[in-house]
Amino acid sequence: MSIDLTRSISEVLPAEALDLTVDAGLGRALGVEPETAVAPGSVSEIVAVLQWAGEAGVAVVPVGTGAHVNPRRPSGAYIALTARRLSSVEIYEPDDLTMTAGAGALVRDLSREMDPHRQWLPFDPPDVQNRTLGGLAASGLTGPLSAAYGPIRNHVLGATVVCGDGRVLRLGGRVVKNVAGFDVLKPVVGSRGDLAVITSVTVRLFPVPAVDRVLMLDAPDVAELVAAARATATAPILPASIVLTSGAGSARLLVRLHGAAATVDAEQRRLEIHAGVAFQAADGTDGMDVALAARDSGLGAGVRVRLWALPSRLGELLDLATAVPDASTLADACGGSVTVSVPEVGPDAEATFAELRAEVEALGGGTRALQLPSDLDPAAINSEASRAEAELAGRVRFAFDPDNALWGTP
Amino acid sequence: MGPTYVITHPDRLLAYESDGLTAYRVPPRAVVLPASTEEVSAVVSALHAEGIEVIPRGAGTGLSGGALATPNGVIVGMARMNQILSIDPENRIARLQPGVINARLTEEAKPYGLYYAPDPSSQSTCTLGGNVAENSGGPHCLKYGVTTRYVTGLTVVLAGGRTVRLGGAGRDPYASLDMVGLFVGSEGCFGIATEIEVGLLPITESVRTLLGIFDTVEAAGRAVTKIMGSGLMPAAVEIIDGPTIEAVEASVFAAGYPVGAGAALVIEFDGSDAGLDEDADRAEACCLEEGAIEVQRATDPEHRLKLWRGRKKAFGAMGRIAPDLLVQDATVPRTRLPEVLAKIDEIGERYDLKIANVFHAGDGNLHPNLLFDRQNADELDRVDRASKEIMQLCVDVGGTITGEHGVGIDKRQYMTLVHNNVELDMLTRVKRCFDPDELFNPGKVIPDMDADVDAGVDADVNAEVKAS
Repeated sequence: MSIDLTRSISEVLPAEALDLTVDAGLGRALGVEPETAVAPGSVSEIVAVLQWAGEAGVAVVPVGTGAHVNPRRPSGAYIALTARRLSSVEIYEPDDLTMTAGAGALVRDLSREMDPHRQWLPFDPPDVQNRTLGGLAASGLTGPLSAAYGPIRNHVLGATVVCGDGRVLRLGGRVVKNVAGFDVLKPVVGSRGDLAVITSVTVRLFPVPAVDRVLMLDAPDVAELVAAARATATAPILPASIVLTSGAGSARLLVRLHGAAATVDAEQRRLEIHAGVAFQAADGTDGMDVALAARDSGLGAGVRVRLWALPSRLGELLDLATAVPDASTLADACGGSVTVSVPEVGPDAEATFAELRAEVEALGGGTRALQLPSDLDPAAINSEASRAEAELAGRVRFAFDPDNALWGTP
Repeated sequence: MGPTYVITHPDRLLAYESDGLTAYRVPPRAVVLPASTEEVSAVVSALHAEGIEVIPRGAGTGLSGGALATPNGVIVGMARMNQILSIDPENRIARLQPGVINARLTEEAKPYGLYYAPDPSSQSTCTLGGNVAENSGGPHCLKYGVTTRYVTGLTVVLAGGRTVRLGGAGRDPYASLDMVGLFVGSEGCFGIATEIEVGLLPITESVRTLLGIFDTVEAAGRAVTKIMGSGLMPAAVEIIDGPTIEAVEASVFAAGYPVGAGAALVIEFDGSDAGLDEDADRAEACCLEEGAIEVQRATDPEHRLKLWRGRKKAFGAMGRIAPDLLVQDATVPRTRLPEVLAKIDEIGERYDLKIANVFHAGDGNLHPNLLFDRQNADELDRVDRASKEIMQLCVDVGGTITGEHGVGIDKRQYMTLVHNNVELDMLTRVKRCFDPDELFNPGKVIPDMDADVDAGVDADVNAEVKAS
């Protein structure tokens, strides 16, 4: 950024909102470092940043902490905008099981607020406690607990957002049922900052289950566990999540059951009869340690790519995923996704993953890069929506951000 | 299409002059009943080429006038598109046409041990296409969520007859913005869904249904807050107030509700049999702590069905009390229920109107039913004014103007209570993404910016921002 632009932005923001660093991983994820980062402390400061950026011709990339941004390649200079200074809990009524908090609030801080009331956010993407609420909503990632609780898009009840051109919108509301107008909030959730900057979020909370049991079944090869995983996923009960992990010559099926002790005991028995297996079981901290280790298992990898297909094609997806050299995998047996993690990649990595994409698309599914080195192009790996759907989505994006202020390119 | 499925005779058009909200009546210019996506596309293409407005219609059970015709508009009815195309038990999804009746999907899924969760009170007649348009709820959406949670893919016919496939199970959900989620609840203003893909759930092993009896509706409201705050996860919690109990018990849907009580709570838990008695015991204790006179339990499946039939047919039963009924719909934060119910009672007294409440208490989704006689102009005016006050009350406590019935034509006048001008303009911009010439279901959802929008919108965030 030229010195003039730096001076220029300092004229629209107070000193405490300037010269902030973001996670070092952001530049790696986006292939280019931001010119600078700003942390506005109010909605009006965000409006000022967007208006300034529009005049200066600089793109704005909204980030949470900057540590979890999906790989993408901005076409030019950009500044990173973090909502981290908007981190307060605005409304928390435990008996309503809803909370409104600033988009920059860390999930771990919100959890601390909820703990005394035995409430929680049942979302389990990797490293969820270190994500911001706004980042979580923008990513749309829920994790395997969506099997029982549904995806995050259904639990974001409302949000205040600033569109690319500075318009402020309050979308949704504070109540669990709300059809007062078109559901414009839905495309914002999961839009990864493409439509607007999220400044606050209202979420539905859930009571912490009395028992959180983790059932485990181990095998040397993940292929041996696919039948048990699918039998569990089609059993006449609804587990909280069903996850399959593999790597370094071992594999594990992990099933979480939530509920009262008597319910969980009965459901474990029913599952074991239905799937014809005997699980090891762990409650409390022991079980959580195992579940969290599985959830975060691929985090340090150089490359992470997620594959999707119908859940019934889980075995085929895993065959494709485990064929990638040095891969470890994390599969969601209910959601039909497999995340492939590879510690390091060689020069032919882009071709390998492009081929993987073609094979997954032949199954009727799709692929998406979650983590890439800066020399790999995510466009080669990410599946695309149909042309007609993409064209419609482009119009919606234009309605939010007519000047392409966010990310710079459509 | 041929003449058989194009209705133009004025007598036959009368059947289409309103939906479930009969206060508004406009006969359409014609009704067309296509049988396939291709026919819908051809019909929309032909009508839009002439600039003729298209009003999509399911079973016409909507309660906000969402399927009301315009004088020059043509209703495109989905009644003939009633095929369940596939049920895939392995992936727990079903593909179907929009004219499929909600309850029929659950019936057809039953042999696979599956069911479709959203259960509007009209589920024996309403269609999945209508449910998608309205993002319908129902009693058991408390635990399981409303229609939008279950819709995974759509085929839609848009302006000019263009057919687009949105989403779909097994696809990368992040390949596009959530266009399926945006389309659900668009009230026929974006286009017509001609194929719907929905998720199914496994039928639960067992169920416990309780009937809590209270002296006052406020006490029942407090019990709801206590139950929901206790960590329990009921499948449904419904309030039926005294006037509704009387109407139901005097009708063919008599469920054994206690005539003379101030209110009854129908509370249901489902899941694995082993834990349900404990849940029911805890809910019973919550009711008794809040002053319940008695808490009964359904003794067998027939008794349970009777309790639910009474609840679901309550709107129909009210025909015994008054010739006309306005079913209102709003949502408030659950903790504000006792206060809001008391104030609604007060509003009813002030306007000398009988208001009967039967609603999804666990969600805070109110249905104050205003009973009246349309022949009485003064009473009609009082209904209108009382409705406005109820809507304002719900918004003032942090709620909204509709939880599940949609805005349609009826709630347009209240949209400024919850949206400022910038937000309403955004709704228009988003509609135009799908329907640039505004030929799908015109005059619904978005108030007329010139005629209806109050310049003094409450809490105009943009004005505040600009001023700061």
